[in-house]
Formats: sequence, C-alpha cells, structure tokens
Amino acid sequence: MEKKKGISLQEKQSLAGWGFLAPASILIFILSFYPMVRAFIMSLQTGSAANMQWQKPLFHNYTRMIHDTTFIRSMGNTFLYLIIQVPIMLVLAILLAQLLNNKDLKLRGLFRTMVFLPCATSLVSYSLIFKSMFAQQGLVNSVLMKLGIISKNINFIGTTSWARFVIIFALIWRWTGYNMVFYLAGLQNIEYSVYEAAKIDGANGWKTFWHITVPLLRPTIIMTFIMSINGTLQLFDESVNLTNGGPANTTITMSHYIYNLSFGKGVSNFGYASALSFVVFILVAILAAINLKVGDTRD
Amino acid sequence: MKKKVLSFMLVGVLAVGALAGCGSSKSSSKKSSKKSSKNITASEDEHTLSVYAWDKNFNIPALEAAEAAYQKKDPDFKLNIIEQSASSDVETAVTTAGSSKDYSALPDIVLFQDHYIQRYVHDYPDAWQSIDDANVDWTQFSQDKVGMSTIDGKHYGFPVDNGTVIMAYRTDYLQQAGHSVDEMTGISWADFEKVAKDVKDKTGKYMMSMDHSGDDFPYMMLQAEGVSQFKDGKPQLTTEPKVAQVVDVIAQMAKDETILLANSWDEYTASITNDQVAGVFNGNWIIATMKQNKDASGKWAITTIPTLEGNGQQGYAANGGSSLYITAACKKADLAKDFLAYTFGGGDGAIETYDNALKNGGVISTYLPAVQGDTYQQADDFFGGAKVYATLMEYSGKVPAIEQNDFHYEARTDMGEAITNVINGTSTKDALKDAQEKLEFAMEDSSSK
Repeated sequence: MEKKKGISLQEKQSLAGWGFLAPASILIFILSFYPMVRAFIMSLQTGSAANMQWQKPLFHNYTRMIHDTTFIRSMGNTFLYLIIQVPIMLVLAILLAQLLNNKDLKLRGLFRTMVFLPCATSLVSYSLIFKSMFAQQGLVNSVLMKLGIISKNINFIGTTSWARFVIIFALIWRWTGYNMVFYLAGLQNIEYSVYEAAKIDGANGWKTFWHITVPLLRPTIIMTFIMSINGTLQLFDESVNLTNGGPANTTITMSHYIYNLSFGKGVSNFGYASALSFVVFILVAILAAINLKVGDTRD
Repeated sequence: MKKKVLSFMLVGVLAVGALAGCGSSKSSSKKSSKKSSKNITASEDEHTLSVYAWDKNFNIPALEAAEAAYQKKDPDFKLNIIEQSASSDVETAVTTAGSSKDYSALPDIVLFQDHYIQRYVHDYPDAWQSIDDANVDWTQFSQDKVGMSTIDGKHYGFPVDNGTVIMAYRTDYLQQAGHSVDEMTGISWADFEKVAKDVKDKTGKYMMSMDHSGDDFPYMMLQAEGVSQFKDGKPQLTTEPKVAQVVDVIAQMAKDETILLANSWDEYTASITNDQVAGVFNGNWIIATMKQNKDASGKWAITTIPTLEGNGQQGYAANGGSSLYITAACKKADLAKDFLAYTFGGGDGAIETYDNALKNGGVISTYLPAVQGDTYQQADDFFGGAKVYATLMEYSGKVPAIEQNDFHYEARTDMGEAITNVINGTSTKDALKDAQEKLEFAMEDSSSK
C-alpha cells in the first residue's frame, strides 16, 4: 500500500511533523527573527529613519556606548533593581506559596486570589497609582505625617534613593504573587507521602522545607529566576510611569533609555538605540546561560 | 459535566467578544482609512483640506475659526480636522511615515510643536513643503515665533498660538510679605530670591513651582537674557557665564525652599490650583490652569520676567507653542497656502480668525495686528480687570529670537540634571561640565553624518 503511494510511513510521519511545525515556525521567522536581523543591520547605521546610513567605522554605535554615562548609569540601575528585588521577591513568593499550600488553611482560595490579584492590574495603571501614593502630597506622606513618624513631607519620587526604593517596592508588590503561582503549582506536584516520611523521620518544619521542598522545587525556582532576571533587565513601565527616570536620570532603566533614544524628546536615533538593545539581548542571554548551568544537576 | 458546560460558555463569550472587538476595529479602521484617503486624493473635491490637531479646547477651536473665516472667501471650503490624542501622536505619525518613506498617509496639514520641528525637518526633509512663496508678511509676527519655523532660511510653518511667557504674582501674598507687583517689574533675580524668602516666611507659600521633569525655567530665563543654550550649533553650557548664573538661581531657591520642584506635570499644575505658590512663571497657556482655581480670581497680576541684571531691565521669553505645516502628502498646496495665509498668515481673515480663536479656545496669536480684535481689548476680571491679552501681545513683540537647535529637549534634560546635582552638593562648574559633555555626546552622532 505504502509503496504504491511512493512514500514510506516514516516519511509520511516526518512530513506531517513538518506540516504541523511549518506555520508556527514561519510566523516566528517572519515576526521575530527577521526583525532581529533587521535590527542588527540598523544597529550598524546612523541617521534618521528616513535616511539611514552606514556608521563609520561600522561598529561605532557599539564602541560609542562605552563613553555614554547615561547608558552606564541605566545599566547600573537595572542591575541594582535586579540584585535587590529578585531575591526578596522570590523568597517571599516561596514562603507565601508554602503558607498557602497548607491543607488545613481556611479560605485558601481567597488568600491565593488576593496575593495573585496585583498581577491582574496593568503595569501602567499600577505605576501611576504608586506614583500618586508616593507623591509629595500623597497618601503615604499624609499617613506617615498623621502617625507622627515624619515631621516634613518626604519627596519620595524626587530623591534618588527613595525613588529607587519605591520602584523596588512596587516591583515586589506587583510580581510576588505571579511567582507564587508557579511555586504553588510546583508544590502540588510533590507527593504528600514524602512529607509524611520526613515527619516520621523526625524532621521539623524548617528542615522539611529546606531539604525536601526546595530541592524538589529546583526546576521551578530556576525557571522563575530566569523569568525574573529577563523581566527586570527589560524593566520599562515602572521607570517611565513611576519616576520618569528621574530625578536627573538616576532611576532610568536600560529599556527606558533605549525608548528615549528612539522616540523620546524628538531624537530618533534608531541606530544607536538598536545597538543598545543588542547589548541588553546579550546580557539576558549570558545571565540565562549562567543560571541554567548553575541550576543543572544532571552531570 | 456542569463545569464543562460552564467553561464552554465562557470560551464562547470570550470568542464572541474577541471577534466583535476585531470586527468593529476592522470596520472602523476601514472607515477611517477610506475617509482619510478620500481627503488626501480628494480629486473630486478641490475645496477640502485635512489637518491633524490635538486639543479640542485649545487649537481645534482655532482651526474651526479659520475654517469659518476662509469660507467667506471660498464658500465651498471644508476643513477636515482629525483630532489626535496628544501632540506626540502627530510626531509619531511623521516618524512612522518617514521610516516607511511613504508620506501619503499624512493629512494635508499638521499642527506641530515648535521645538520639535527643526529636528523633524532635518530628519525627514521630504515630509514637508516650504511655504516661502506664500503671501505672508513675516515682519508682522513675533520674530521668535517665526524663527522657530524657519529652517535653513526657508519658511515652513504658519504660526498659530503664542508661547509668550508670563510672570504672574499673587498680589495678596506679595502684600502680606510687604512687597508689590510694581517692585517685581524689572527686578533682578538676586532681589527676587530675597522677596521669595519674605513670601515664604510670611505666608508659608512657595514663590514659584517648576515641573522638574520638563525643566522649562532655565530656557525661559536664558531667553529673557537673550542667550541660548547653543551658540553656532554647539552647546555653550560651560562657556556662557549666564547659564551658570541661571542654574545657581534655581538651585539656591530650591535650597531656600522658595521654589517647589514638582516631579511631574500633574504635581506642577496641582501646586498652582491648590494655592501652594505665590507666583507662576510659564508660557501664557498656563493661564487656563490658573483659572481652575476660582477662589484666586482677582488676586493675580501679570508682569515681565526678572533678569540677572535687574535695575529696571525686563525680560521677555516664549515657551511652547505650535505652528501649522503643509506635508508632502498635500496635493493641493496652493489651496493650503492660500487658506493658511488668508487666516493664520495675516491675510484678510486673520483678525477674525485670531479673535474667535481667543474667544473659543483661549489661543493668543503671535500676529501683532491681531491685538485690534475686540476680544484682545477686553479686561479680564481674573487678573483684577487688566487687559491681559493686549499686554501679552505687547510682550510678544519683544521676545528676542535666540538660536534654536535640534537638541533643544536634550539640553533641557541635561540642564535639569545639572540643577539636581547642584542642589545635592556638586559645584555648579562640575555639574555644567557634566551636562555639557552629555549634550556633546548626544550631538556627536548627528554631526558625524
């Protein structure tokens, strides 16, 4: 039968496989890889979008950024957010997940929803709400004043250290619940009998958590780590809407700076902006690779 | 089973919603594209022009006034005003059209921000049509305004609104502090700082507020001195001594807590409407914001800007504003030029256009003879019965034209950064050196072209 058609079963299956793969692959190529190649070409060019010319020397956009103090500062800011925010957020998420995974807890669903709810708010609106809360005449200042903790309104958004704190605080509020959901899913995959066995062996709560839960959650932890690092490196909405990079560009993130170069202030320097995007891309790739290597135990 | 039914229903609802959403957006986009293409080609209608504008309380009434005025000359004339949500939408539209090198999607005319136009004409030279041959007497306008839309010696824009800066004071607060508006006219910034301290001590109010994310003050203060942040196309933040003096004034006032540095535009306008300040220093379009505080009616007075020198020397500046530009997409350039010259350009319909623009939209002109209009001569009770608009027109003619540059907003940001650094303890010299280097860095790329 098959021979009559001139096609073997294996070939048929393989053809079907390609057939299923093709639409998605073609779409990814057109919508992701092609723009990436174009962006790389653009990163070697300069001038306005209507009149792009090759940069001389060709890699000038890349060598130029070494002297760009704003870019270096934006990179510093982004890494600062990364180093402080991601660990706090993930530890909080895993602890919350552990708490909410408790079978005896009443109103579990309600609490889970409440912790997850911040993720349902749009990035722009929550940034704007935080901005108004931390404004000079905002809610936080008046509460602190009424409680007698401060005697003069704090200019949260207008002071570098406070502004960074507000961004980190906002990020933790927004993303902890999101990561918690992954941990909850991971916890549900751990057999309850493992815990029972540990209990019989005399392990206390902390020991069970540290020696059973954490190792078994390892794949989930690595995944959330990579996602958080990736997300933080591309941090944009908070920087734009909460502090607008201020004061004096001391809270600006890399993506925000790239946006400013392409669309902000009438300066459409797409070439240089694409070059910076590629640097961010490489940074994300390196960090993800390190993470995978460190997290991989199958050697 | 029940769950399955429920989830199917939910999926169904979502799908219907999504389809409906797609459908409606598709049909509306089709509609609008049909509409706009009709306007652009418009071979069947030789009397219609399309225009982008963004403020239905401000510049759109001005355009409507112009349409009505031109209909006296050409009764079939129609102006199709396409409202944009913000001025940046127009900029994005030009950038997008420029990137695809297809300008046909643009309307015949766009309203465009003055400080951006230099850059956009340089970046997208094919997007605009010069109006050198239009029938306009440019000497009848504020020279600063005309300078904004004149690029490489060619005229491109028809002026619409007027950004002439006002220095407004609360007479009641000044009085409490033992000062008067007369004293503030022609005052030096050094004396101004002292008055500000008195006001703060006696009334607890800030003397002024500035949106520290936009940093308008340094530019306006420098223009009042007749200098720019640029000289011969190069930044002069370190070489022009007045730049350092201006930065020092603002930083000193911030240290004295006599100026409120707002972190955003909202905070800035709130400081005016919530009675936190005794003075307002900005383009006259800020009057609309001031008037939102009805309790302050009759307590405001307007005068000129202080200068570094003082001794009766008064400062004039302009901040913000926009003009109308004919795009490359316009196939009826002669009609567009005639329409704009007749109305905004000082033709026979100019007085009527500008009078109605002020009446309906609060748009003040830079066309100096417009002051003959009735509305300009009206007294304004908000300012204690002063003829504010006539005064503004007088100031408008005295604004010195200073060098403009593509990197205007970069310079603003860098100077704002310098101010923050000076407040935090950096020396003015170092802070400005830093700003100068940043600005040179940003400009380096385009000069290598």
